Amino acid sequence: MSESKQRPLVLLLSALTLPAVLLSSGPANAAPAPETARLTISFTGVSKPGGAIMAGVFDSREAFDGDRPVQGVRIPVNGPMATETITGLKPGRYAIKAYHDVNGDGRMNTNPFGIPIEPYAASNNAPSRMAPPAWADAAIDLVAGDNAHTIRID
Amino acid sequence: MNRRSFLTAAGATATLALNPDSLFAAAAHGDWTLGFADVEADVAPRDLTLIQGRPPGGLSGSLFRNGPARFRRPGGSATHWFDGDGLVRRFRIRDGRASLAARFVDTPRRRTDTAANAVVTGGFGTPHAPGVAIASADDVNCANISVQFAGDELWALWESGSPFAIDPETLETRGLKTLRPDLAGMPYLAHPRYEPDGTVWNLGLAGSRAIVWRLSSSGALEAAEVVDLPLASYVHDFTATERHLVIVLQPWVQVRQSAPLNSGFAWKPELGTRILVLDKADLSRRRVFEADPFFVFHMGDAWEEPDGTVRFDLCALPDAGFAVQGGADLLAGRRPSEALRPELRRVSLAPDGVCRVERTGLVAEFPRTDPRFAGRPRTRTLFAGMGRGDNPLFQSLGIHDGKRDRTDSFDFGARHLVEEAIFTPRPDGDAEMDGWVLGVSVNLDARASELHVFDARRISDGPVCTWRADLALPISLHGQFRPG
Repeated sequence: MSESKQRPLVLLLSALTLPAVLLSSGPANAAPAPETARLTISFTGVSKPGGAIMAGVFDSREAFDGDRPVQGVRIPVNGPMATETITGLKPGRYAIKAYHDVNGDGRMNTNPFGIPIEPYAASNNAPSRMAPPAWADAAIDLVAGDNAHTIRID
Repeated sequence: MNRRSFLTAAGATATLALNPDSLFAAAAHGDWTLGFADVEADVAPRDLTLIQGRPPGGLSGSLFRNGPARFRRPGGSATHWFDGDGLVRRFRIRDGRASLAARFVDTPRRRTDTAANAVVTGGFGTPHAPGVAIASADDVNCANISVQFAGDELWALWESGSPFAIDPETLETRGLKTLRPDLAGMPYLAHPRYEPDGTVWNLGLAGSRAIVWRLSSSGALEAAEVVDLPLASYVHDFTATERHLVIVLQPWVQVRQSAPLNSGFAWKPELGTRILVLDKADLSRRRVFEADPFFVFHMGDAWEEPDGTVRFDLCALPDAGFAVQGGADLLAGRRPSEALRPELRRVSLAPDGVCRVERTGLVAEFPRTDPRFAGRPRTRTLFAGMGRGDNPLFQSLGIHDGKRDRTDSFDFGARHLVEEAIFTPRPDGDAEMDGWVLGVSVNLDARASELHVFDARRISDGPVCTWRADLALPISLHGQFRPG
């Protein structure tokens, strides 16, 4: 009877485990068209070595809540900071969710009661109260050209 | 019950502002509020003064106790007794002398609240301040209910999150205890059950599921398994026989996710009380008994008769009033309702599936038993007896003999706020409850905490000795004694 009451964070980033999504971040070889946005995401405060940060970029509240990212990236962790640049985004409102896949198994590990045991974060360092961060707290505006955003994940 | 529920947003109504009416009430009432006052800083080791009697030869060791001790901060305060920062106290008795030291558990919660200069982190009965980020239950963990020995460590226990490891000598916090990486952050109740060989059984609750923990006496995890429960009850304690775990599922059940925790529970007496009995050797083997509704925090150790009947005692309350209003009243300086008087009741679970609950009429809380008899037949239960007059909680200690239906007790009078007492055996004795009872009280006239030692066979004679501290610490909840 508790099953239905629980809103596990497991759902938070399940879509990010799809390889197709992970590969959808285009190579940064071509200069972005003037009308597209380029987003450099930096993760700071990485406290556990190894693995990778799995981050998803979402373009609407529905996509954010439903774990349907427009782009996803896997950023190998080699120190307390990890950075990646995402290109080809249309200017507009986005939000980012990420987790640190410490053991490299491609999913956000949880304990048996559904509580994440790997670090996770969202854009704007949107707070979480044992439920996924809210779109309203995490939303950021991307303009044409270069954008930078820093997220603390520990 | 889903312990995570109280971590969810409290909603727009959340406020931590002090209610002026509460402040007025505190001023208008008696000085028992000393037992719920704030401790501003850690308490350096200090000698206690022997004020009466002679310390018994052979009694040597440390009584560790835990309880909430910081409730109020300039920018906002806790609104429930159970939401204060855990202060671990060590009363050490050695060579006829006694000393006291106390140190707050260094929790993320305490750090957050200290930095905010306000109690912004809610919990059992206190809402969160708006905007507080909480990633896990351990961000709310106030480590304030009890302690457990685990090898060379002392653990400070809460019930909805992880234990905190403490250095028993310096009382310094070593950090959160994760028993296995994949079980990080799983809840761990403050009332583990100990087998006489030191094996530890414990639970952690989440809605109608529980994790069953089994640890060695050194604190190493031996097994962990999740089981389903027939009711999403609030579970603070459980009990055990040599072969079975006994989980009383009261009709205070989680009905929604909300913060604080107690706001998500509803008293539904129509559900009755269920008692789940699990086979320690195979947790899938279970029996469920049904009883009339009652509320319970604490239970005595259980045992089995040769015919398989499971017996134990517990302290029953009429409803969940203390968990909701009573604990809030105490912090606000209001005496909790007179109706909230716990009664010792004897429960038997017969092989034919019938549960009987026998009322003793004895007003009692904090049942403790002889640890050497845990899980085996026993007759005696140590308890704290209810306060009278202006005393809002407890003022006496006693040992009830359930077989002979006799009670041996001592009344400190209404000017002592009496805490849970603990039994420790005499080194050369092996009869049940042959040893000493160690109890702490806050003496309101002396405005000081006192440590009392009783001969457990003669409680009504009064303490064989009493030491007094040079300060009063707020009353604590639970503890353990380690001889040595």
